[in-house]
Order: sequence, then structure tokens, then C-alpha cells
Amino acid sequence: MGMSTVSAKSLASWTSDLLARLPAPSGPLAAVQGRGRGALAALQGPSRRQEAWRFTDLALLVGLNLNPSAALSSGSAADGFAADGAGTDGAALPGTSQSGPDTLRLKLDGGSDPLAGVVLPAGVSPLSESELVLALGHTLAATGCEQHWPVELNHASASQLLALRIASRSQVSLELVSDAAAELRPLRVLLILEEKAQLQLCQRLTATGAGLTSLVLEAHLGRGARLEHGLVALGQPDAALLAHLALEQEPESHVSLVAVSAGWGVSRLEPRIVQVDGSATTTLRGLQVVAGDQIADTHSHMAFGGPEGQLDQLHKAVADGRGRSVFNGAVRVPRAAQRTNAAQLSRSLLLSDRARIDTKPELEIVADDVRCAHGATVSCLQLDELFYLQSRGIAADQASALLKRAFCEEVLRELPAAARRWCSFESLLAAHGADAGPATAVESGRDDLEGEGA
Amino acid sequence: MIRPDADVLLEISGLHARVEDKVILNGVDLTLRAGEIHAVMGRNGSGKSTLSKVLAGHPAYTVTAGTVTYRGQNLLELSPEERARVGVFLGFQYPVEIPGVSNLEFLRVATNARRVQLGQEELDTFAFEDLVHERLKVVQMDPAFLDRSVNEGFSGGEKKRNEILQMALLEPLVAILDETDSGLDIDALRIVAAGVSQLATADTTTLLITHYQRLLEAITPDFVHVMAAGRILRTGGRELALELEERGYDWVDQELAALELG
Amino acid sequence: MTTAASVGDLVSQPYKYGFVTDIETEKIPKGLSEDVVRLISSKKDEPAFLLDFRLRAYRQWLQMETPDWAALGYPTIDFQNIIYYAAPKQRDKKASLDEVDPKLLETFDKLGIPLSEQKRLTNVAVDAVFDSVSIATTYKEKLAEHGVIFCSISEAVKEHPELIERYLGTVVPSNDNYYSALNSAVFSDGSFVFIPKGVECPMELSTYFRINSGDTGQFERTLIVAEEGASVSYLEGCTAPMFDTNQLHAAVVELVVLDDASIKYSTVQNWYAGDEHGVGGIYNFVTKRGHCRGDRSKISWTQVETGSAITWKYPSCVLQGADSVGEFYSVALTNNYQQADTGSKMVHVGPRTRSTIVSKGISAGHSANSYRGLVQIGPKAVGARNYSQCDSMLIGDQAAANTYPYIRSQQPLASVEHEASTCRMSEDQLFYLQSRGIAFEEAVSMMVSGFCRDVFNQLPMEFAAEADKLLALKLEGSVG
Repeated sequence: MGMSTVSAKSLASWTSDLLARLPAPSGPLAAVQGRGRGALAALQGPSRRQEAWRFTDLALLVGLNLNPSAALSSGSAADGFAADGAGTDGAALPGTSQSGPDTLRLKLDGGSDPLAGVVLPAGVSPLSESELVLALGHTLAATGCEQHWPVELNHASASQLLALRIASRSQVSLELVSDAAAELRPLRVLLILEEKAQLQLCQRLTATGAGLTSLVLEAHLGRGARLEHGLVALGQPDAALLAHLALEQEPESHVSLVAVSAGWGVSRLEPRIVQVDGSATTTLRGLQVVAGDQIADTHSHMAFGGPEGQLDQLHKAVADGRGRSVFNGAVRVPRAAQRTNAAQLSRSLLLSDRARIDTKPELEIVADDVRCAHGATVSCLQLDELFYLQSRGIAADQASALLKRAFCEEVLRELPAAARRWCSFESLLAAHGADAGPATAVESGRDDLEGEGA
Repeated sequence: MIRPDADVLLEISGLHARVEDKVILNGVDLTLRAGEIHAVMGRNGSGKSTLSKVLAGHPAYTVTAGTVTYRGQNLLELSPEERARVGVFLGFQYPVEIPGVSNLEFLRVATNARRVQLGQEELDTFAFEDLVHERLKVVQMDPAFLDRSVNEGFSGGEKKRNEILQMALLEPLVAILDETDSGLDIDALRIVAAGVSQLATADTTTLLITHYQRLLEAITPDFVHVMAAGRILRTGGRELALELEERGYDWVDQELAALELG
Repeated sequence: MTTAASVGDLVSQPYKYGFVTDIETEKIPKGLSEDVVRLISSKKDEPAFLLDFRLRAYRQWLQMETPDWAALGYPTIDFQNIIYYAAPKQRDKKASLDEVDPKLLETFDKLGIPLSEQKRLTNVAVDAVFDSVSIATTYKEKLAEHGVIFCSISEAVKEHPELIERYLGTVVPSNDNYYSALNSAVFSDGSFVFIPKGVECPMELSTYFRINSGDTGQFERTLIVAEEGASVSYLEGCTAPMFDTNQLHAAVVELVVLDDASIKYSTVQNWYAGDEHGVGGIYNFVTKRGHCRGDRSKISWTQVETGSAITWKYPSCVLQGADSVGEFYSVALTNNYQQADTGSKMVHVGPRTRSTIVSKGISAGHSANSYRGLVQIGPKAVGARNYSQCDSMLIGDQAAANTYPYIRSQQPLASVEHEASTCRMSEDQLFYLQSRGIAFEEAVSMMVSGFCRDVFNQLPMEFAAEADKLLALKLEGSVG
């Protein structure tokens, strides 16, 4: 396939090499770094022999010669946005709304305190040291991932932390932006939403160099709280992304997580949600686009700790070129989670005969008075649909572009508007390696127009 | 039709019952004779639905005191299927859906179980199909419903008509219809009411449990009972239903309070 | 009050096949080594090619590690504590049934598989295997008239060695997995079926396995070949007595279909599942694979699984021929403390291949029922289609239903569709049926049959009725 497979040995030596190059622990996460480095050194890294990493080859990661971000050791002040700054990051789509004047916009660079010099709006406050000690890692443990390799990697390297408390009943809008260059960029975020707090979080991760972005985000939602999280991750073929999103929901809370990723050489996204006592709603939407030699992997994990919880999950993937899309959607409904209502759908669009889809919904159910359904489909663009458009005068290549857009729109339109402006459909496919143009249709056989040299 | 010398089909005496640890029935007394049509009305929570479930033998309910005699026999010691076979029918308020079990098959097995009890021959598939097609007319149902799973995907009205179809096949002597009119539009109500009337004979007795009196415009009851706090508070004729419609249920609270004090 | 409590004390139907036949059996000492492999081969008087086959497999087995499936929990098997050869002391297959030890005939009688001329089933030919040795095959002559070969593997090795050499191990290579390697080294007997070109086998063929010894491992090997245009329907049935130690059953089944041929392979498995506390029961590790070698060929796997303490089996189809078809219809019932990890693998290699998977799992008691499936669409499988449906019925709230359907696709001009749902046998539904005069046991049976209908419709008629009853039997005391 043109890609070498990483061996356990090469990953281990890459890891110890990295550990040696990291600066000494510093900043608010110094203790975490110390523990994390020890854990990472002792941990058996991901390999194809482990079920959870079977289809995801980290060869690209191992090939990265990472210099810990210059920013990691410099501690320079954050570059907070002006309240109404339009920003040069990502062209705003005409007609889409900008983030409002009350949005708190923060830049995360992994090396400096994101809150330095920033005036927090009403309803948002930082966490005290003692609060941090209690809260940091709590949700990772509740969702069972505190010892995952990508998490320990983040523990070992992250020196800065964004930790915010959203006060009860307040409504806050937060924008987090990270544009990584050719570096190791570890980002750590902790959000505590008090009872009935509402947070809209638009988060953007981009890469402009051969580097690794490592994100660990924890959010704890109090009773009745709401989190709307739109994550847009647009990379480039020589960059890697490892992201763990751990969410803990108290009863009556609502989570809507929409994650869109495209263009990374290798990306692994792990949304892990637990409804600690059921009775909450969780809506998950995912869209990953691969082309060239890219690998995109989403391993989601939903656990119900009590009765009457709801899950509505839709995951979509588009694979072109020699790209590889992996999806694993785990859902756990133990005995205590009676009257759970869970639905999961995975839809994959396979556009070339060198691309590859691996999808596995995974249900483990003990409670019997439940409604749990899942479905998965893999196909290419439908001939009937293409023909219908053509019969209305639309050229074949435009027709397939329209259908691909429609496929992606179902997820894109669920992004909060402020996040939506970061990823137009064209930017999703064209700027990040995939070809938005003529696609493989049933009649046209091999795709000879793909730019990446399939 | 009231005939004082008609057979007593169902005699309920001092019936108390609870579900889990909540007491619902507080001493119900009721006598149903052949040829009669009774209506039980009351607010939600008055115990009227519970009464019907207890008579049918639903396992979630426990009888704590009292007796129920069906044609001289102790009904409470019979299992649910035995009660059905001897001719006691409960039309459910929310008929449950059973995917995978064919409606036709289910109706045939139930009908044959009743026939065996009555000393009649069981019907084979062909004979039964003839019978069911004939009975479909009572509820004006499309034969296509026979091929579907029991109540699966049926609208509210279709489910209720499926209940009445079962009544038409099983020919019970005591028919207890729990809010058969709820959720029905005018046309469906008309069909259901016509079906019930057609099946009510001089030998059967019908107990209509209902919240609103519009069903009673289509099926004239001989007796109307008002239920509250798990017992029958007052019994009257047709006019009682009209009175309730006009005055509502507030007077019931007053009477209850008076009972408590007295 | 839950459904579980309301039924109360329905007594669990005793496993009626639990008796042991008292018969002289020749056994070799426990343990496995190259010498044991040679001994088995010599006791069966095998030609050189087969001894080589066994030895190669044994050496491969030594290099392999036991598979570790996270979802199953079972104590490690001590392979040196098993007897690898046991045979009732009647050496040669008897020319006529009159010469067969009457105690053996009686055993099969009791199991409902009468072998004697007067009593046998007229439309099913039976190969009876007792403790891994084939005792008798009925209707051999009649089948031979049509050119159909149906006999034990041991016999086939002697009478048709060229067929065995051509096909054995070509669908499941010895080194395919740990248990196929073990089986290839020590397999004792099983059935061989060969349907020549253009022949539709006039009867259903059936092998009935009866495990009698408590400490013997059972390593059957079955090979069915259908040449161009041929077809056959084959039934596999098995029972075993109740022992309180666990027994190992590691079988290999290979099916080959050439152009336009088809094989329907049905199993109704009723091993002893262990008692209600999870003691005893069979460990059932089976590799079953069909190779649709020819164009327009077809293989259907239909199974009803209700027994065995631990089940690990994934009947698969490799769909190589263009337009070939693979089907898998399964009902798996687990109760008490049983564990099942079962499913199917459909590997699409050739163009326009089609596969259908319908899996129904019923979990009761404290059991764990997992469906693990793989649908793999290779790069050359243009126009391939798969449809999978996995449904779980949960009885009570202490049993688990797990679903792990793997979908791997490399061919855009193919389509894969998978659906799964869960349901329960609820008190309300049972009460509804009862309130219409249907007895409790019958109501349970109706709901289970309704749930499994898509699968039961695929079983040959004789099995369908048996399957219905078997499920009802196995559920007694579980809806309660």
C-alpha cells in the first residue's frame, strides 16, 4: 500500500526519544507531567495486535521528528482576541454569522497560559488550585480512559491548561482556536458546567506543518446543563491529531457534539461520554473525510450509568484515493440502565477502489427494557440519484459533487454557526487533500482525475 | 336491558387490591347480570383501569380482600388464560404490540382455545380463515391486517378495532372494555361502538370503563357507576352520565370527604 | 413484579439425553505428543499422505498460542489432560446393521435416530458417529446408485483417497487457527460427502454425533464437496451426556462448491450446557468454512444453537466465484451461565457476490450472548452486496446481548447494509396473549418463534419443528 507499518519497537523508541527531549515539567501541570512521563515510559504503546488499534497505523506519527513547541518553554503571553476581532483564521463564508460580541475567544498554543491578560465575561471563572486537584482527571477516570496511550502522551507533554467554570444558569459562548505548525502541540482543557449552565463551544484545530496536535478535553455537566460542542479539525497530510474528548453528564443534562475532521495524515478522535445516572440526552455527530494516504479513526464510547438515557449518534465517512476510514462505536447499557433509548447509525461513502472503510458498531446490553438499534451502510454514490440529477440537466461531475456535498451536509449543518464558518464543504475536500471534483461514478469506472495521484 | 331475574354473570364483593405497595381498590361492589350494559366513570387515578386489570388477572396487581365470582365460580383463583377461556374478556386501553407474532396465527390459537373450552371442535387454518373474514365485517377491518404482526404499526383506532375483532371471535360472556374510546376519532368510535353493540346480547354483560360520556351516546348503558378513590361512589342510570358531563367531578371530592368524616 | 418472578417455579426440563451408554471402549492414555498422532494414524490404518498431513499440523500447533477472546471467560484448557482417541470396541464398520453392537443401536434409538431398517427415517440418510467413530451409515447403496458418496472420513480415506487428498485442508488450512491445527493433527472421524456433476442428492444427509466418554476430546472432521451443478442438503445434529467436567469439542467442517453447485448445511445443536450453576458443559470451538469456488455457486449455513457451555464458532463463506452467494441464518439461545461468541464471516472476493446474514440471539438467565460478524469486501468484488440483520431478545435483566459487526470494505461499487435491534419478552406482551386464553408456555413459545421466524423458515422441515420445541424446552425456567 505504499505505507510502512509501525512496529511496537519503533513506537517505543519514538516515545522514549520524545520523552528525552521534553523540557522539564513546569507550569500548573508540572505534577501531571511528572506522573505522565513515568506512565508513558512504562506503557505498551498501541499496536495492530490490540483490538482498539487494529486498523490504525501510526507510522506517520513515528516518522515525525517532533520538536516540542517553542512556545512550550517560552511561556509567552496569550494572544487573546479582541472581542469583535474577525480574525484571519479561516475565511468566513459569506452570509454566515460571525461569532457574537460576547463570545470569549481564546488561542491555545500549548505553551502559554491561554487566560493571561484575558478578561473573563460574566458567568465564566477560572478554577482555583484546590478545585483543580479535585476535578482534573475526574472525567477521564469516569469514562475509563485515564490510562490510554494518547492521554498519557498528553499528560507527559502538556504544561498549560485551560480550566474554566461556567456558573449556574449562565449562557456562555466560547471559541478555542489552535493552529499548529511543525511541532508537538499538547492541549489540555477542563470545563465545569454548573447546574443549568449553558455553553456553546466552537473549537478549531488546524495544522500547517508536520506536527502532532494532542488534545485532551474534559467536561463535567451538572444537572440540567447544556453543552453544544462543535469541533472542526482540518489538518494536512503530514500532520497527526490525537484527541480525547471526555464528557460526564449528570441527569437532565444535554450534550451535542459535532466533530468534523479532514486532511490529517493520521487522526484519532475518541469521544467518550458517560451519563453517570442516565436520564440525560447525548447527540453525537461525526464526519471524517480521507483521501490520499490519510487515515481517520473515530472510536466513540457511550456508557449509561442509570436509566432513561438517550443517545442519538450519526457518524459519516468519505474515503477517496487510498484513504482509510475507521469507525468503532461502542455503546454500553448495563443492568441499571433500563428504558435507555439508543440509536446509532454509521454511513460510509467509498469513492475509490483503493480506499478502505472499516466500521464496527459495538453494543453491549444487559438491561432488557430498552430500545437500542444500530445500523451501518457502506456504498458509493447511488446511480439512481446521479441519474436523476443528470436527467434534470446537471453534468455528471457536478451531480456527484452535489451528492457528496449533500452527504456531508447532514452533519455539517449541525455545527454551531460559529464553527460552521470554518469549514465550507469546498475547504473540507479541496484544501485538505481530497478532490471535490469529478468522482467515481458507476458508469465512469476508474477515477482518472484525482489530483493526489491515486 | 335490565331483567331482574337474569343470571348473575359477575359478582364483585368488597374487592381490595394493590399494586406494589400502593393501595388502589378500596372495596368495590358490583353485580353484573346477563343482558346488561354497565358504565364505570371516574377521574384518572380513581381505580377504574385497575379494576379491569384485576378482573383479568394481571400479575402486577395483588388482591388483598374481597371476592369475585363468575357464574358461581371463584374467578380470582383462575390464571389469566383460564379466565379468557371461560369467557371473560378485557379490551385493553393500550393494546401492546408484539412484533414477529402473526395476527392471524394469534387469533386462531386464541379462538381455538376458547372453542375447546366450550366443547367445540378446533378450526383448521382454512376454516378459521373463513370465520375471521366474516368477523372482520363487525369492525370493518381490512384483511391485510391479518398478515401483520399483532398490533405492530397499527394506529390507535386500528388497535381498538383489533380488540373488538377478538371479542367477535372469542364470544365472551363478560366483556370489560377499558377506555375503548380513548384516542379514537369520530368514525373509529362509531365503528367500535357499533361492534360492541352488535356483540352485546341477552346472554352477555358488558362493562364499559370510560372517561367521557360520548361513547355512551352510541351505546346506551343500563347502569352508570361513578368510581373514586378505589370504590364505587354512586350508581345511577343514563342520566348520571349526563350529570357528570355538565357538573364535572368536583362534587365527587365533596362526597368523598363526607364519607371520610362520616 | 418482573416477568422473572411472576413465573415462579417452572421446573427446568431435565436434559433428556443425559444418559451414558455402558459399552466397552478402547482408549489410549491421556496426553498429546507426536507419538500419539502417529498412534492415531496407525490405529486407523491411514496412508502416508494423511500421516504427513497430521504431523505437519501438529508441528504448526506447537508454534501457535491459544486465542484470547476478551468477551469469553473460561479456565485454561489442559491439553495434556485429554484423551485423544476412544472408540467403541467394534473395529471395522459392519457390513450390515445386524452386526452392529445392539447397545449402540439402542443408544441412537433413544436419541430419536433409529438406525435399524424398520424404524429409520425414510427421507434422511444418517451417518451415526459414536465418540468420534462412525458406527453406521444408512442408505449407502441407494445413494451410490446416484453416484453420491456418503460415508465416514475414515472409510473415504481408504476407498477414495484421491478425493480426500485433493480437497482436505483446502478450505481450512491446518494453520488457519489454533483449534483447526489441533483438529488437523488428531481428528478421529466425521462425514465425507461427495456429489458428482449435475446430481441433486435425492435425500437429505445427516450426521449425528454422540459424545459418550467424559474425558475424551472430540475432534470431528467433515468434508462436503459438490461438483458442477450438484446440490445437497445436509443436517448435523449432536448430543452428549451430562458430566460435571467440561469437554472439549474442536471440529472442522469444510464445504466446497464448484460452478452452479449448492450446499445447505443445517445444525441444530443441543449439547449439554452445564447445569444451572454453570458446572459442566461442552466447550465448543468449531471452524466451519465454505468455499464458493465456482461461479454462481451457493452455500447456506443455518443453525440453531442452544447448548454448550462455551461456543466459539463463525461459519464463514469465501465468495470467490463470480455471482456466488453466501447465507447465514442463526438462532443462538443462551441461558443460565452459558457464553456464546458466535457469528459469521462473509469474505467477498469475486464480482457480484451476495451475502445475507440473519442472526437472532436470545439471552436469558445470567448468560452472555455475543454476535461477532465480519463482512469483508475485497478490491475485486465489484457489484458485491451484503445485507445483515442482528436482533437480540433479552429475557430478564441479567443476561447480556452484545453485538460486534465488523465491516471492512475496499470496493466502492459494492454495498453493505447492516441493522441491529434489541427487544425483550415483556410481561405486558405475555399477559396480553394469556388474556386471550393462550397458556403461558405457549405464549413464550409464540413470541420466541415469531422472533426467530426468519431463521426457522430456512431450516429443512424436520428441523424446523424440532427447533421450535427445542427452544421452548431450553427456555423453561428462564422466563422465570
